[in-house]
Amino acid sequence: MTSAYEELVGILTRLHDAPADLIRSEATLGALDVDSLTTVEISIRIERDLGVTVGDDELQPDLTLGEIAALIDARRATTV
Amino acid sequence: MRSNAPSPSAPAAVLCGLAGWVPPRVVTNDELAERLDTDDTWIRTRTGIRRRHLAGPGQATSDLAVEAGRLALRSAGGGSGAGSADAVIVTTTTPDRPCPATAPLVAARLGLDGAAAFDVGAVCTGFVYGLATAAGLIASRVAARVLLIGADTYSTIVDPLDRANAVVFGDGAGAVVLRAGHPDERGAVGHFDLGSDGAHEDLIMVAAGGSRRPYADGGEPTPAQRHFAMRGREVYRHAVTRMAASARTTLHRAGRKTDDVDHFVPHQANLRILHSVAEDLGLPRERCVANVDSVGNTGAASIPLALADAAARGRLRPGDRLLLTAFGGGLTWGSCLLTWPSLATHPQSERTTP
Repeated sequence: MTSAYEELVGILTRLHDAPADLIRSEATLGALDVDSLTTVEISIRIERDLGVTVGDDELQPDLTLGEIAALIDARRATTV
Repeated sequence: MRSNAPSPSAPAAVLCGLAGWVPPRVVTNDELAERLDTDDTWIRTRTGIRRRHLAGPGQATSDLAVEAGRLALRSAGGGSGAGSADAVIVTTTTPDRPCPATAPLVAARLGLDGAAAFDVGAVCTGFVYGLATAAGLIASRVAARVLLIGADTYSTIVDPLDRANAVVFGDGAGAVVLRAGHPDERGAVGHFDLGSDGAHEDLIMVAAGGSRRPYADGGEPTPAQRHFAMRGREVYRHAVTRMAASARTTLHRAGRKTDDVDHFVPHQANLRILHSVAEDLGLPRERCVANVDSVGNTGAASIPLALADAAARGRLRPGDRLLLTAFGGGLTWGSCLLTWPSLATHPQSERTTP
């Protein structure tokens, strides 16, 4: 099974044109210049593709990709 | 309901005329940036919009509707009843007045004396609701030829200093003529999916000016209550999910697959919504018809303006299968399948490709 982090990166790269070398676990959404509509898109796709609810209001600019992946893993664990 | 295909004996609504009209005044992103805290790059990356047309002072929705309606009747050309219609539907969120409806005036100005005339209100889903209404008039033999006009002047309800909305909306009108015909012929409209969710009426709203908060009620409404308001992030989420679901429902009802769709024609809300819905449906972007870059979100006019633009560019070939999908305040949503007919393109419809 693909890790939540890899799936999150997959979602992000299909949506966003951030250079690949900037997409790292420690990168924050703010550093990747993810705007508010993109956070809505990320939230929709996490729910649609991964079956986990992460609200767009939770996807704050200071959150790192690693932290979001951890959030997805934690919610997956509680929903299984 | 398993299927909403018209019964074989009932006439189908067949598209036989099409035109768009936008007011001459073009407003670029740079012009908006002079009075709003924004710039061309910000607007383009978030909305895909480069410019929009705005009505001039004193120009009302009916003025735009009459221009588009006249061109659509002309494009419907030859045959019996050419240049006429026995019913006129105007779908709009910005009627000339709270009372009466805008359609009777439009019918009169087009010389369609005595035609049935009324407005349909479903905000940005208005054109798809209007198509279903027109198809019903034709199927029930109330009318044999319907002029359906989507027309909006959002500039009259959007606060010009509201950055989020002022950059998105434009004014315009698009019109189609539908005649009674056979469900199997090119131009036939259907199947449909229509829906609503009024529990979310607060996401897209003009708070004052209706019976809930009348202007005549004493206390002056605040500027915020008088103007159009939209909760962008929530609307985006609902739009993407509802449009994709409505498109799928319609294809399912017709026994079609996504691959059968030659052109996906969504309500032109914002380029990112269009691409997101197309991707969700598994449709390549090149099958997604978009003209939002040059006209912005024109409300009920957006789908017929996009059709007129694509037709003028020669993108739509007779026999192509189109899927129209819209979403708007209400909330409302709807979709419709349409096989493209042979249409005369009138030179004046060049106005739709500024």
